[in-house]
Amino acid sequence: MSTEQHPYIFLAVFLAVAVVFPLIPIALAWLWAQTFSPAKPGPDKNSTYECGLVSRGEVWIRFRPEYYLYAILFLVFDVETIFLLPFAVAFLKLPVGACVAMMGFLLLLLEGLLWAWQKGVLHWK
Amino acid sequence: MPALNHYLVLAAILFSLGLTAALTRRNAIMVLIGIELMLNAANLNFIAFWRFRPNPDEMVGIMFVLFSIAIAAAEAAIGLALIISLYRHYRTTDLDQVDALKG
Amino acid sequence: MNTVNYLGLLRLLAPETVLTITGLIVLFFDAGVMRRQSIPRRQQVAAFLLSAGAMLAIGWSRHYSLADPNSTSMLVIDPLTQLMKQVILFLTIFTALVSLESKFTPHVGEYFALLALATLGMMFLVSSVDLLMLFVSLELTSLSLYILTAFQKDKLESSEAALKYFLLGGVSAAFLLFGMSWVYGLTGETNLIRIAGQLRDRATDPVLLAAMVMMLIGLGFKIAAAPFHLWAPDVYQGAPTPSAALIASGSKVAGFFVLARMTLAGLAGAEGSGVWNGFAPGWVPVLAVLAVLSMTLGNLAAIAQTRVKRLLAYSAIAHAGYMLPALMAHNTMGTIALLYYVTTYALTMVGAFGVVAVVEQQTGSDAYDAFTGLSRRSPALAVCLLVFLLSLAGLPPFAGFFAKFYVFTAAASASTRSLGLLWLVILALAMSVVSLYYYLQLLKQAFAVDPPAGAKIIRPLPATLFTLVFLALLVLLLGALPHLLVNKLQAALVVSGL
Repeated sequence: MSTEQHPYIFLAVFLAVAVVFPLIPIALAWLWAQTFSPAKPGPDKNSTYECGLVSRGEVWIRFRPEYYLYAILFLVFDVETIFLLPFAVAFLKLPVGACVAMMGFLLLLLEGLLWAWQKGVLHWK
Repeated sequence: MPALNHYLVLAAILFSLGLTAALTRRNAIMVLIGIELMLNAANLNFIAFWRFRPNPDEMVGIMFVLFSIAIAAAEAAIGLALIISLYRHYRTTDLDQVDALKG
Repeated sequence: MNTVNYLGLLRLLAPETVLTITGLIVLFFDAGVMRRQSIPRRQQVAAFLLSAGAMLAIGWSRHYSLADPNSTSMLVIDPLTQLMKQVILFLTIFTALVSLESKFTPHVGEYFALLALATLGMMFLVSSVDLLMLFVSLELTSLSLYILTAFQKDKLESSEAALKYFLLGGVSAAFLLFGMSWVYGLTGETNLIRIAGQLRDRATDPVLLAAMVMMLIGLGFKIAAAPFHLWAPDVYQGAPTPSAALIASGSKVAGFFVLARMTLAGLAGAEGSGVWNGFAPGWVPVLAVLAVLSMTLGNLAAIAQTRVKRLLAYSAIAHAGYMLPALMAHNTMGTIALLYYVTTYALTMVGAFGVVAVVEQQTGSDAYDAFTGLSRRSPALAVCLLVFLLSLAGLPPFAGFFAKFYVFTAAASASTRSLGLLWLVILALAMSVVSLYYYLQLLKQAFAVDPPAGAKIIRPLPATLFTLVFLALLVLLLGALPHLLVNKLQAALVVSGL
């Protein structure tokens, strides 16, 4: 069994090393913790660490609605790229009419963006 | 390599899971996720059928999927907007508490 | 790789292009030029722009050239589709004029632009002959209608109705898409005509039947047939009244037309049979189940209603039930009857919702009480309401009578075998009698009961009143001279060969 017969064997070796190497210190740390510092949870230990300040309020906070408007706008425009990708791949073989049609599509997208801008949706209050 | 049947079974399972979520979940966002799952199951069907066709040069199946992905995104955007607008009135997305219209 | 003649395509789709540009113009004109004006003024300008664009589209749709009738195309342009598009455009214009009455939103431009987009979706729906095109245009219509339903943002019911509409609509769209994926997988085609060609040999394939049922679920939702009707009462009640008018009229026309195209063209060869004692699997028995459920459930639930918009919703479900037998008759006469029914029904529905919009705007309610003594408070409105409701009930001098007459005769004479679809017709006739009761109940409230003390006179805007009277006259005219529309439909149908 040599690297001549199996040119990719070193990949398997690398993978094994990559898994084992970080596992060793983690196992050592776990053994150390078991022996010398077992877990003793308490209210002080469980509190959120805030640079020494006492933490206040809930962890679950509400996002402002603008955040969702951004997210929704992003979602729509983001997914439209799946039409741009085939267009880009086939670009060199396309007739003029197809390019013009695609420009029409992009123009509609742009109109949507302009509308959102004009409505003040893009303005973070 | 998995055969066509495997994909179809997977799609059917996904569709059933989505339908279960859409019908049993009480949170509007979970119902929306269920609907998206159902749409994606249909997409998986299209891709699988297209891939296993005798002449995969015809791009019909893949074209269908492109469009349905875009439509699913638009649907998700509108659904989220509607859920936000409902939340402003009810302060909840639990569908059991949304019951002003009856009869 | 087939080459596409883009210029020719643009010329064929000139009405749709005009409407798209109209929508964009309305949107940006309202946001730019009209920004500082009062809301009624903006509504007037936007409605005028939309109506002008729609009229232009109607004019353009009369001058078309027949598309190359090869079966590879996604869209079909023929006299019948153009006629149905004109009907839908007229319905949109009426909806826009009725919208002038209501003041439910400050976002005027968006509202009218969405009306244009929903109409655009319906027009493409009428033309589409390919599963992909059908799905895309159906979603364009549905998504626009969801937003139109949610437009009254200060009203809780509006948001709730829109979310219910959306969630049920989303599930049904997923069913439709899943069914389409199986049909594509089994036949390898997405074109309806070629699917039909593939189907002839294996119409009883159980997987195929399952796929077909899934597609019918998706379309059954669109036409609000029971048991997929759950959204309809809530949406009709919660949505702003003009939006509800479009959902009840234009969307119905497009939905029934595309259902007819799907079953008669795409699933031809997989009919099965719905004659009494002779059921065979196929789409006819599925539609028979929908028809029976819609007729009984819609009519019986309508009796218990106390709000007019909910009443109209349940009666809409019942009417969907009356229309389905025409489709099941599966012949030219049945198709003509269906298209005549759905057209006159849509005109009547826009009118009825217009009356409700006026009363609701001025009294703040659409309960039966708000209509008490309407004949004293606004005689013109009351007479319009009379015409619309009696037409819905199917009484002789009005269009609804001939609509029902044509559908029932087409269904009764469809099968040469004994009885045939007669059992459905008998049920429909019985249910029509039931429906008379609740229409008359409302009319009694409007005509026989005295108005409560201190009730105000109801004054509709001149434009709204003109629209309503025009619609009422149209319903009367089509009732008196039904052949005006029937001849047109017949001529168009012969050429198109649906």
